[in-house]
Amino acid sequence: MWQGRGKTAIAGIGYSEITRKPEKPLGLLAIDACRAAIADAGLQARQIDGLATYPESPFAGAGNRDGEDVVSVSFVLNHLGVAADVNWYAQIETGMIASPVIEAANALIVGACDYALVWRALHRPAPTSGSGAGKGAPRAGGDAQFIAPYGAASIVQTHAIAWRRYMHRHGATREALAALALNSRRNANLNPRAFFHSTPMSRDDYFNARMIAEPLCLYDCDVPVDGCVALIVTTADRARDLRNRPAYLAGYGQNTARRRALLYYTLDDYMACGGSLAQKLWSAAGLGPQEMDAAQLYDGFNPSTLYWLEAAGFCREGEGADFVTGGRIALGGELPVNTFGGSLSEGRMHGMGHIAEAVRQVTDRAEKRQIPGASAVCAIDGSPMLRGSGIIVTRDP
Amino acid sequence: MNAEVEKSSKPIPAADELTAPFWEAARARRLVIQRCSACGYYNHPPRQFCDACLARELAFAPASGRGAVFSYTVMHQRDVAGFEGEAPFINIVVELAEQPMLLMVGNLPIGERERVRIGAPVEVWFEDRGGGVVVPQFRIV
Repeated sequence: MWQGRGKTAIAGIGYSEITRKPEKPLGLLAIDACRAAIADAGLQARQIDGLATYPESPFAGAGNRDGEDVVSVSFVLNHLGVAADVNWYAQIETGMIASPVIEAANALIVGACDYALVWRALHRPAPTSGSGAGKGAPRAGGDAQFIAPYGAASIVQTHAIAWRRYMHRHGATREALAALALNSRRNANLNPRAFFHSTPMSRDDYFNARMIAEPLCLYDCDVPVDGCVALIVTTADRARDLRNRPAYLAGYGQNTARRRALLYYTLDDYMACGGSLAQKLWSAAGLGPQEMDAAQLYDGFNPSTLYWLEAAGFCREGEGADFVTGGRIALGGELPVNTFGGSLSEGRMHGMGHIAEAVRQVTDRAEKRQIPGASAVCAIDGSPMLRGSGIIVTRDP
Repeated sequence: MNAEVEKSSKPIPAADELTAPFWEAARARRLVIQRCSACGYYNHPPRQFCDACLARELAFAPASGRGAVFSYTVMHQRDVAGFEGEAPFINIVVELAEQPMLLMVGNLPIGERERVRIGAPVEVWFEDRGGGVVVPQFRIV
């Protein structure tokens, strides 16, 4: 078991607007989210003496202008009015957004800082299509020279290719993805921050949606948005003196699996990624999948949720499609999944929404989505391409 | 074929010192894959050192050009650089016969969408895109 179990807690959550028509640059949305998290915890900005983020753009080539495309530690240092003597920061480029939370917890445990602010800001890149006309063919270098000439460089194709193998291997159909998408949308309809809060989705809506990369349709892709989510992480002792009930960090795991193929990430990589981080997650927290009151599982693309359900041991490999049908993953079901709507329906916050919802559930702050008495919830932020990491938060230390 | 092959707007592979032998071979209608002289592992895309054993003794070896469809997708989204006018089009991933998880990508004509399936045997052919660009492709056999 992790010796840091229960020694740190998430004590504040802040959301900017989650929007496809931003009225302000990403940097200002990030400031909104950071200020909201600080206020939510009952702190002042000048008390923040630790900073951490995972700043990457949603995909390679989506721009890296600080304050417009990404929001770095330097941007927040320059603009938020945090403590004059910030003691610690980390800008993590591996492991997605749970990793800065993990780093903050470890920094807090050794006394490197008192109150850490962790944020994730993401923008919706401008469409790239059509712009190449008349300019001649683009040149593809590096590994892309073996992919881009075939029109295969889009991330959705990687996921479609992995999901096709899953269907082939396990006999699954699109029904499983429909069940997941509809579950997420129903939950988003109960989440006032969700991009699709006011937009219901029917089974027909799902099956009539246009294909993106077969067998993945529009509603199997997360919704690209501009926005930022921020968290306050502090020591358990300090958290108990703040405004909210603390969500204690019980354990974490990171994906350290080795990739199988050089050219492309495969279904086997997704499963290995999930297994690698989940094994560490359960062992660190001394808890297992059967003890989770809900699971917030990364869904940048819809099939990922199935992979994490299997790889983390909520069901056996190949049984995910059966597991997600029949209401088991709904609020009130045996294992509510992505109770806030996931990235599919809340918006693409790359796992930060998952963490925020896990915190809300174990602190009785989940509004109409509250699972009564939820005591342990995992948030797994996993993709083999981006490594991925996960945490478990608990009601009691 | 007429020398004035219509130039494609599809992305052009930018060969570098490491990858030039692959593309030179493709122009000669041969498929070669970088192979480690120390441990025999095939590296694709080519590497400065072997991905399996870190040895720097690497050479391009002839490949059979045979394999099987590992997976595939029919792409509908019109936001793939150089392929805006192609959608829907088929992407395949091929696992070469030489080594498990030795993957290459390719395309199939859209007419193959009912025929393509995981495990279908394929063989290499070479698509001339004009301007000296020749890319390996695969067809179902």
